[in-house]
Amino acid sequence: MIIAQITDPHIRAGGRLAYRKVDTAAGLKACVAHLNALKPMPDVVVMSGDLTDFGTLDEYAVARPILDELSMPYFVVPGNHDERGAMRQSFADHGYMPPSGFVNYAIEDYSVRLVGLDTVVADKPYGEMCRERLEWLDTCLRQEPDKPTLMFMHHPPFITGIRHMDWQNCRNNDVLGDIVARHKQVQMILCGHVHRAIEKSWAGTIASIGPSPCHAVALDLSECKNPAFTLEPPSCRLVYLNDDNCLIGHLSYIGEFGGPYPFFNADGTLID
Amino acid sequence: MNQSTQSIDIRLIECAKTFSDGTRALEPLTLQIEAGETVVLLGPSGCGKTTTLRIIAGLESPDPGGQVLFGQDDVTNQPIERRNVGMVFQSYALFPNMSVEQNIAYGLTVRKMANDEKARRVAEMLDMMQITELAGRRIDQLSGGQRQRVALARAIAVRPRVLLLDEPLTALDALLRERLRVEIDQLLRELGITAVYVTHDQNEAMALGDRIVVMDKGMVAQTGTPQDIYYKPSNAFVADFIGTINRLRGTANKGMLQTAGGKLPWSGPDAGDIEVLFRPEDATIVALDAAELRGHVVASYFLGDRTKVLLDGIGEQTVVVETADRRQFAKGAEIGLIIKPDALMTLE
Repeated sequence: MIIAQITDPHIRAGGRLAYRKVDTAAGLKACVAHLNALKPMPDVVVMSGDLTDFGTLDEYAVARPILDELSMPYFVVPGNHDERGAMRQSFADHGYMPPSGFVNYAIEDYSVRLVGLDTVVADKPYGEMCRERLEWLDTCLRQEPDKPTLMFMHHPPFITGIRHMDWQNCRNNDVLGDIVARHKQVQMILCGHVHRAIEKSWAGTIASIGPSPCHAVALDLSECKNPAFTLEPPSCRLVYLNDDNCLIGHLSYIGEFGGPYPFFNADGTLID
Repeated sequence: MNQSTQSIDIRLIECAKTFSDGTRALEPLTLQIEAGETVVLLGPSGCGKTTTLRIIAGLESPDPGGQVLFGQDDVTNQPIERRNVGMVFQSYALFPNMSVEQNIAYGLTVRKMANDEKARRVAEMLDMMQITELAGRRIDQLSGGQRQRVALARAIAVRPRVLLLDEPLTALDALLRERLRVEIDQLLRELGITAVYVTHDQNEAMALGDRIVVMDKGMVAQTGTPQDIYYKPSNAFVADFIGTINRLRGTANKGMLQTAGGKLPWSGPDAGDIEVLFRPEDATIVALDAAELRGHVVASYFLGDRTKVLLDGIGEQTVVVETADRRQFAKGAEIGLIIKPDALMTLE
C-alpha cells in the first residue's frame, strides 16, 4: 500500500500568483498528474493543509477541481492559510469531514489507520493542540492500539532550524508528544507548513515534514534575517507500507529529469 | 443474488456506552437480531440509536462488560474492518472525485480483490441497483437518489455479514425518500441479509422493519413488530412518538366509560379515573344523535385524500380525527364521533 502526501499548495483565485511569483495551481496540477501516473499508483492521498493561500471560498473553488482529478480517495485537514469553515463548506460532501468543530478524523478502511488532525488556531500562523483536541486524539489512538497508524497534521511539533518558521510550529507539542509516545502504533507523522522535506525522531516515532509541489521555504539555517522561498524542483512524500506492516518514507520528484536508464545489460552484466 | 446462506444473527449483551466526559449515551442494552431480519432502531435524536449502530459496526466499543456477537463470533474487540459490515450513511460518504464504478469497487480494492473478479462484482452491483448507465459518471454529477444507490451498491459489493444503515434517506426529498424506501425494502428481502436501520422517521420504521426497537434516553422503550408498536404501545413515550394519539380521561362503571365528551362502551374493569387512548383513524364522524362523543371544531386541514379535524370539549387535550368525508368543518361547529369498540387502549 502507498500513501501520498500533498501539502501546502497555497492555491489562489483568479489566476493570481502566490507572492506575485508562484503559479501554485500549475504546481498542484502537475503533482496530481504525477501521482495519477505513478506505477504502482498510490492507494490514497492525504492533504496536510494550506490548500489555499487566504482560505476564501473562491480559492477552494479553484483548488477542489484540481484535487478532484486524483484517481484515488483523498483526505484533507486545514493549515494556517486555510479557513476551517470555508474548507468544511467546500468539502461538505466528503464523508469523513465532521459537520462541526475541529477537523479531526480517523480513516479505518486501510491496513494503515490514517488519523487527520486539525492544528489550526484561528487567525494565527502557529498551531496548537488544545485540550479538546488532545483528548480526542488520545481516545482515538486508544481504540486501535495494534494497527499501524499514520498521523497527518499541518504544523510540525518540532524545531527545524529554519527560525522564521520555528516560532510558528505546533505549540504545546510536549503534551502532544506524551500522548503519541504512549501509543506505539503511531509509526509516522506527516506534517506540512515548512515546504521542505525534513525528518526528526520525535516522541518515539518519526515526525516528518513534506515538501510543497509549488514553492520551497529557502533552506537557511542561519539567523535568517530575510525569510524567503525558492523554486527548487518540486516533490511530494510517498509512504510505503511493506509486508511487515512497517511504514517507509520516500520522496518523489515531480517533473522530467531524464531516465529511467537501465543499470544492466540484457545478459545481466553491469553496463560498462 | 441470494446471500441468505451467509446471513447471521447479531447479539448485543449488556452493551452500555459512557463517553469520556461522563455522558451516558446508552444504558446496558441486550438485543437479539435474527439472521436475515431487518431491525429498525427508532427514536428522537440523542436516544442512543446511532450509538447502538456504531457499537454493532465497531466504530465504538461498549463499556467493559458489554459483548457483541455475530453468530458464534465474538466481535467485541474487533475493529470495523475485521467485522465485515456494510455501512450506508445519511451523507453518502462516497468519494466525490472518483467515478461511480471506482466508488463501488473501493471496498474490493481495499480488500485486494483480483481485477477481473472485481470488474464482475461491480457490474453485478450496477445492474442490481439499475445504475449501469451511470458507471463512468463522477459522484458530483449524480442526483441525491442516484448517490444513495451508489452508496448501497458500495456497501453490498463486499458481501458484508451485516448491513448497517444510518438515516440513509434523511437527506432526500419526500417523494424520492418514499421510492427509495420501497427499493431498499425489496433489496433487503432479496438479499436476505441481516440489517440494522437507524431512523428518526416513524413512517420509514413502519415500512421497513420486521421489528422496531423504539429508544428513548439511552434505553429501549419498546421492541415489537410495527403493528405491536402502533396498536399496543407499552408506555406513554411510544404512544406519543409513533403516530398521533388521542387521550381521554373518564370514569369506568358497569361497561360504560363516562368522559367529558360523552359515554363510550367499555369492556375493561371499573375504575374511578382512567386514561384511554385511541388513534385518529379509529374515530368516525357521525350524526349528532348517533354520537358517543361530542365536541367542537377548533380547526380543520384538508389533506387531499382526507381531512384532519381538531376538536375540543372531549378530552383535556384537543382530539384529532381524520375523515374521508367530502365536507367542510366550520370552526365552532358541533361534531359527533363514535370510536371503534376495540380501538381504545390503556397504558400500564
